[in-house]
Amino acid sequence: MSMIEVQDLTKEFKVYRTKPGALGSLLSLFSGEHRRIRAVDGISFSVKKGECIGFIGPNGAGKSTTIKMLSGILHPSRGRVSVMGASPQHRRKYVAQNLGIVFGQRTQLWWDLPLRDSYEILRKMYRLEEKAYHRFLHRYHDLLSIGDFLETPVRKLSLGQRMRADLAAALIHDPPILFLDEPTIGLDVMAKESIRSFLREINREEKKTILLTTHDMDDIERLAARVVMINHGRIILDGCLETLRERIGLPSMIEVHYREVPRLARLDRVERVKAEGKNVTVHYDRNRISPPALLAELNRWGEPVDIRTKEPEIEEVIRRLYGEQADPRSKTAPAR
Amino acid sequence: MKLYFTLVGASIRARMQYKFNFLFSTFSYGLIMVTDFLMLAAILLRFDDIRGWSIYEVGVLYGISSASMSLYRVVAAEIHDFERYMVEGEFDSLLIRPVSPLTLLLSRNLDLNRIGGVVQGLSILGISLSHLTALPTFFWLLWYLPVALGTGLIISVSLGLMTATLAFWTHRIREFQVFTLYAPTNAANYPVSIYPGWLKWIFFTVLPVAFMNYLPATFLLQKGGEWYLLVVSPMAALLFAGVAFSFWRFGIRHYHSTGS
Repeated sequence: MSMIEVQDLTKEFKVYRTKPGALGSLLSLFSGEHRRIRAVDGISFSVKKGECIGFIGPNGAGKSTTIKMLSGILHPSRGRVSVMGASPQHRRKYVAQNLGIVFGQRTQLWWDLPLRDSYEILRKMYRLEEKAYHRFLHRYHDLLSIGDFLETPVRKLSLGQRMRADLAAALIHDPPILFLDEPTIGLDVMAKESIRSFLREINREEKKTILLTTHDMDDIERLAARVVMINHGRIILDGCLETLRERIGLPSMIEVHYREVPRLARLDRVERVKAEGKNVTVHYDRNRISPPALLAELNRWGEPVDIRTKEPEIEEVIRRLYGEQADPRSKTAPAR
Repeated sequence: MKLYFTLVGASIRARMQYKFNFLFSTFSYGLIMVTDFLMLAAILLRFDDIRGWSIYEVGVLYGISSASMSLYRVVAAEIHDFERYMVEGEFDSLLIRPVSPLTLLLSRNLDLNRIGGVVQGLSILGISLSHLTALPTFFWLLWYLPVALGTGLIISVSLGLMTATLAFWTHRIREFQVFTLYAPTNAANYPVSIYPGWLKWIFFTVLPVAFMNYLPATFLLQKGGEWYLLVVSPMAALLFAGVAFSFWRFGIRHYHSTGS
């Protein structure tokens, strides 16, 4: 069964040259001085029940705009969206009942009130029965330990706690579909991991359909079986994680600080080695050489005192996908 | 409706988290209203009448318009501050709930500090009424007052909502509020008949503040109006509310959101 259908979806924004002041901005609406920005440019895809899709792309690629059209916040300029068989724009309330949404950078909770109050309010908003509500509290205490901070005002929660609280809030009405916009942004490694294992759990056990946007390649590797990559408002790749790997490999970077200036030797199967005094930076592809194997090699060069690894940025991944053919169009601004 | 009270209760509890701030702003706002009232009294007492309207008759107009404007500031505080939702992109979170965004907006905040303004308007109304007991239509006037306040509230909220809707295109609305809210409601403190023709036309159509007090008062205060104006005025207010709501719905379709 298809949960989400998107056909030829396009969103254009008119950007007016604004004059100062509110009156100025009203006048500029009529002056006709504007340019059109196509934030989303004719994309099509469909999502089946129980899929977990990673939506990736650089800033301003159109990810958020697409999610906002799927959730009924924005009206498309052209094309068709259907979520559970209904248009999110025309049947907004029906779709909202079937949708949980988390915006990683903005909480949906009542900031000054204890967390429990937010859940009580949402419970009434979604007309949840007493029994279902208690089941919710128990279940999400088991999964996300929300019971530990139910009485704490939301503004006093740590970022990791707040994200767990927000995730639970998005799932209070047990929606079959979940949209997550940067769910791990700003979190430390432990918190990221607990969010990821939670999402994996509800995706596998409860067959929730998940659509997430992220900048973190780790999120994608751990969660998404399917990746949709979007750039300049168009889909440039739609396939399983393996397809992405075949196209770009698993670019990684390792930085080693040695006690003494290292004795460099030839290293096969890596892309680039940069040495500066006691520091060595190696760019490599995890498909071609595993990190332990690489470390073993690097150990022969001297005694490492500090080792750091870094995952590639989405921007780097996109660059690889395109090779050197940079898109001549200037970078589009985020939806505004 | 039950949901509305739950949400309003939550917003009040949230506000009470900052008790000192709440008490202080209520106190300072009350003080402002008192000085405002003294100023008005000083001005009114210098005039005997305005175009055939005595001070107490003007006081009735003033009381209705200022009480309903303040009531609007109490119940629709977030509509009044709507540009915040556009500038900070907070409007998104109102659109993802299975509840109308207008309900969510209205229930987000009751600005209790503004109750001082309602009390001030009602006091002026009370004082003025006590001097008008000789009118043959006095009991009509008393009976009609709740309707007048309701009409005034509906017109103020509609004006506020229409102005807020402009934010979907312009983001900022503070400057518009001067023309579409403050100016007309202040003008409605006095009989509309004193204004030049084009302004009168505006107050009966695009910014229909004449219906909240002046028009029914022409009958209630015996200025040549007919009884049916008491029916026409609330009807006009409801019609205007319908127009404002349609405009709001139209605005939401053009909502642009912000990048995250």
